[in-house]
Amino acid sequence: MTTLALMHDDNTANDPQRRAPLVIGPQTDETVTDSVCRVTEEVRTPRAWFVALVVSAALTAVFFGTIGYLITTGIGVLGNNRPVMWAFPIVNFVFWIGIGHAGTLISAILFLFRQQWRTAINRSAEAMTIFAVICALIFPGIHMGRIWVAYWMAPYPNQMALWPNFRSPLMWDVFAVNTYFLVSAMFWYLGMIPDLATLRDRATSRLRHSIYGLLALGWNGSARQWQVYERAYLLLAALATPLVVSVHSVVSTDFAVAQLPGWHTTIFPPYFVAGAIFSGFAMVVTLMVPARAYFGLKHLVTLRHLDNVNKIMLATSCIVAYSYAIELFIAWYSGHSHERFVHLNRAFGPYAWTYWLMVACNVLLPQLFWLKRCRTTPWIMFLIALAVNVGMWLERFVIIVVSLSRDYLPANWAMYYPTLIDVLMLLGSFGLFFTLFLLFCRYLPMVAIWEVKHVLPREEVNHGRTRA
Amino acid sequence: MDAHAHEHPNSSPPVAGLLAQFASPEALRAAAAAVRAAGWTRWDVHSPFPIHGIDRAMGLRPSPLPWLVLGAAVVGVVLALAMQLWMNGIDYPLIISGKPLLSLPTSVPIMFELGVLLAAIAAFVGAIALGGLPLYGHPVFFSSRFSRASTDGFFIFLAADDQRFEPISAQALLRSAGAVSVETLQVDEASGRVPGGLYWILATAVVLALLPPVLVTWYRTGPKSNPRIHLIQDMDFQEKYRPQSASPLFADGRATRPTVPETIPQGRLQADEHLYTGKVAEQWVTTFPMQPTAAMMERGRERYGIFCTTCHGLVGEGGVSGITSARAVKRREPNWVLPLSLHTQSVREQPVGQLFHTITHGVRTMPALGAQIPAEDRWAIVLYVRALQRSQNATLDDVPEPIRSQLRPVSP
Amino acid sequence: MSNTTGAEKQTLLPATTAGAAAALLVVGLAGMACAAALEYGRGDQWRYFLHSYLVNFCFFTSLSLGALFFVLLQHVARAGWSVTVRRLAELLAANVVVMLVLFVPLAASVLAGQGTLYPWAAPHTAAADHAIEQKQAYLNPTFFVVRSVGYLVVWWLTARYLLRLSLRQDESHDAALTLSMERFSPLALILLVVTLTFASFDWLMSLWPHWWSTIFGVYYLAGAAVGFVALLIIFTVLLERAGPLTDQVTAEHYHDLGKLLLAGVAFWGYVAFSQYLLIWYANIPEETAWYQPRHGGPWGWMSLGLLAGHLALPLVGLLSRWPKRNRLSLTFWAVWLLVMHWIDLYWSVMPAYDPHQPPWALSDAFCLVGMGGVYLGALIWRCRGRSLVPLGDPRRQEALDFENY
Repeated sequence: MTTLALMHDDNTANDPQRRAPLVIGPQTDETVTDSVCRVTEEVRTPRAWFVALVVSAALTAVFFGTIGYLITTGIGVLGNNRPVMWAFPIVNFVFWIGIGHAGTLISAILFLFRQQWRTAINRSAEAMTIFAVICALIFPGIHMGRIWVAYWMAPYPNQMALWPNFRSPLMWDVFAVNTYFLVSAMFWYLGMIPDLATLRDRATSRLRHSIYGLLALGWNGSARQWQVYERAYLLLAALATPLVVSVHSVVSTDFAVAQLPGWHTTIFPPYFVAGAIFSGFAMVVTLMVPARAYFGLKHLVTLRHLDNVNKIMLATSCIVAYSYAIELFIAWYSGHSHERFVHLNRAFGPYAWTYWLMVACNVLLPQLFWLKRCRTTPWIMFLIALAVNVGMWLERFVIIVVSLSRDYLPANWAMYYPTLIDVLMLLGSFGLFFTLFLLFCRYLPMVAIWEVKHVLPREEVNHGRTRA
Repeated sequence: MDAHAHEHPNSSPPVAGLLAQFASPEALRAAAAAVRAAGWTRWDVHSPFPIHGIDRAMGLRPSPLPWLVLGAAVVGVVLALAMQLWMNGIDYPLIISGKPLLSLPTSVPIMFELGVLLAAIAAFVGAIALGGLPLYGHPVFFSSRFSRASTDGFFIFLAADDQRFEPISAQALLRSAGAVSVETLQVDEASGRVPGGLYWILATAVVLALLPPVLVTWYRTGPKSNPRIHLIQDMDFQEKYRPQSASPLFADGRATRPTVPETIPQGRLQADEHLYTGKVAEQWVTTFPMQPTAAMMERGRERYGIFCTTCHGLVGEGGVSGITSARAVKRREPNWVLPLSLHTQSVREQPVGQLFHTITHGVRTMPALGAQIPAEDRWAIVLYVRALQRSQNATLDDVPEPIRSQLRPVSP
Repeated sequence: MSNTTGAEKQTLLPATTAGAAAALLVVGLAGMACAAALEYGRGDQWRYFLHSYLVNFCFFTSLSLGALFFVLLQHVARAGWSVTVRRLAELLAANVVVMLVLFVPLAASVLAGQGTLYPWAAPHTAAADHAIEQKQAYLNPTFFVVRSVGYLVVWWLTARYLLRLSLRQDESHDAALTLSMERFSPLALILLVVTLTFASFDWLMSLWPHWWSTIFGVYYLAGAAVGFVALLIIFTVLLERAGPLTDQVTAEHYHDLGKLLLAGVAFWGYVAFSQYLLIWYANIPEETAWYQPRHGGPWGWMSLGLLAGHLALPLVGLLSRWPKRNRLSLTFWAVWLLVMHWIDLYWSVMPAYDPHQPPWALSDAFCLVGMGGVYLGALIWRCRGRSLVPLGDPRRQEALDFENY
């Protein structure tokens, strides 16, 4: 019995003659629906979930508390000071936006690439994307100081007769990040409508029936609905794919159009995109490894899914390493003394530890994923993913803070140190992120039920659909 | 279940349609083809996931959504380009960081983003609207069996308002197409009607949402005995002493400290009354404190160009000749007062000391510029203003003899 | 699953093609000779000829590199849809060995130390220019030739290994060979991208020894991918008509190749625009030097032409479903983009010869026909007696069954 169970648990073997199943065990439409809906239908509050929620909510309170303190007191409460005028808030912004890239990548790009293993993890990754983008959007807002005039960024006719400066990459950012948020949210919600209808139809209480009924918009799964729905889903995927590339490219131009050595280099757009995907997938692993175990979804979010996610992490880690290496080589090749200095300063300057820790987390540790054992052992991949989260945060720190702290003018050099508020805000943003994610896990369908049904082994429906 | 339907084929409530369940997607597809072949138009297929080929089996026309999305994308791109070029290049042309006014490369990111945004909104709204959503009620929802349609049930619904609808033959059609079960659905009067409570909830929510802005507007307009609500702080209230405020720290209770007796701050010694005030013994001076030179005149011309032309114009005729004034008039700013001409009789008759004083301290709506312009430069401006005044009221005698021949007569 | 019997004979090139290969080789050599003869009269120490030669050298190398990149990517992704067109890519990739021979004139010119092609290769230039002097450790004739030969050998060996395993699988139908290729490919892919990057730095970027751009390797890779997919589409269409690929490819393959072409075009545009925008915006003199000659005048028109022809038009033209599934329209865009890819390389190289205007000459045509003849002749020779479809691949049936929806 145990051996049989073991054989069923492992669908990671690669057999060129047969595509591996994407679900474990004999699954039917009904069992898939059951195992996903059960998480939201459990009457008793799961204890560990509740404890996690309380901790996250407390951190969220800290987050909004520090934001209130910052607004009422002024941005002097942050450590930002000449010459490091962009520090923790922008580091956090880029970090969270990066995290937010995995969801759309899984939903859109893997959809276009017909990677059917995406179906089990795309919903939670999209949710993660939206929550990460919410965290990201907060930081540049509060960092600018007078948050109450944030509407000045919108091009509206005003009594000053002024318009935003569209030649600034910061304005591109406003458009890119907001577009990304709206498109991700629409994509997420659209994808969820049929599953919300499932929750509505299974509801036993009137309240649940009303709420999910309202959210499902009266979906009845008619062929006419499915036809236009699938078309829209494909179109949104096709739109979201270049969008996801553009967003982090635009974020990279915040730095790369400047003339500051360490910021201005032409590989930044694709390098930032790869880094974003890297960090996003690390966050997917960080969230999904515990979630699939805790909510009993191991047969849907299988080791094969995690194996694939880890392979993508390995690939993007290599791209990031490539960018580091090419930047280093070109810094030497350019013969430009400031370019050379910036890289020496990163590696051997006062912030050298951040650089080496970054290299260890982003380049060296993920190389363990060459070993299949590391790709398929949950606790190992969880630890590596945590390291990558740290490493990618440090990468933005190295780019932003370390470059700024020593620029062209040695007389202008200074060290940057975060204040307690800086640190609390970073922790608080994690609180907000996890709070939203925990609520999502408990009250919304965590796995795209209809999409998983779509890829269930089903002989008589399309033959081509049972592949990995 | 279906036997029940047979018993009362014509009794009220009226029949909404027939709902048939099928065992598998494959059976559903075959049945859909059969129903289509029978010529039905008011019917649909329901399944927990999209079944490929069902739209072909049903004879559904391709959805127009892609064209909608393409149109929205084009609108977004064109809109973004027009917006950026017009706002930054035409309506308020301002060179920033050496970029051209009509700057195409920098317009590309927002063109792309706005195109994607509008296209995605079109896809989203299109999917919902063309899918007939939101849909409050539908006869199928009244079948207890239909709750399986979002789990593992495959259904065909034949609506009673189809021209071909006839309960017995329709039943037979579905049976022969392989239905596992067929159910007759009645029209429920309550279906499709939104409960009244929902309207009340919505109305209350709208009223509640409107309250704060209404209150704020009310408090911010019209005279009130209490201070207005100060929504936007803008660093208006800071932990600092304002001028003339009290402080318990000092014996005299004043926060503003007087200068120490018998001292003058460094660089503030302004002993030369003529140079710094334009007065001697409380009388406007009529001479310059320094010897006017060509260099001083040139300096005055340059400083005048920097500090005075925006309001008084290049020649000093005031009105709308300055760019600030012209813009204010063009925009019909209600509080704008036209700057005076420097060539009126009264200004021309002012002694130079008074002109100097006006530049230093301002007059009426003209701001004081003493803090921005050093005294020597203010005198230089006065000199240039005098020259301007003379130029506008010149006679033939003012023109040197040798170049008089170059003058052209002006037609009146 | 493996109903491959009977298909084996049909997937070979017709016997008559041996003559065609020889004829192409002869035409190729003759073309080169004509180009050389024309250029001999110019008396500029082969300066023009070398520039023109470099354009074509980079062009044909990029086709093989794109093929190698494609093959490795298919193995890394364990792709099923592409199996029936993968053999063409394997053969194209292995054809890179021709470029090893064709590299000789470039090596000779660099080793001659005249700086006719690369200014840094002349010792007196390097001595007089502090910026170049600093790079001597990297930019010196010997190291350049060693590196270049190294890249070409690495590519050749990689491609040869993959082709061999794949050919062996034709006989044995052994699924373990697929596993070997899949295990080999990730590392080979990394090696390819790194060598390709440095090759682009050496061959193209160092034409302006003062100039640098970190994205340049990706730019060359993007162009190579577009050029290769375009060529693969043309070959597939021709071979489907001629016989070897009949019944091996369906409209679905064209649809997917069309998608890849579209993706390649978009990627090229993205990379090209990123590089341009960042350099244009920051406006640092030593960086804008590369765009300066391409920004106005006749070169400026060519830049705009690339923007339209290499990005905007094919992007719109390939967006819908039907132009990708229709062989005629897809072939049109493939030929179009192959031409554009050549123009892109011409635009990358030739301003080094004449920064004011494109110096078209008759020898350009002879050089292109010459190198093309040699490259294609060798390719056809390579194809002889070999199945143009990996008959033994375990995923071949999947490729045939596949349906886009």
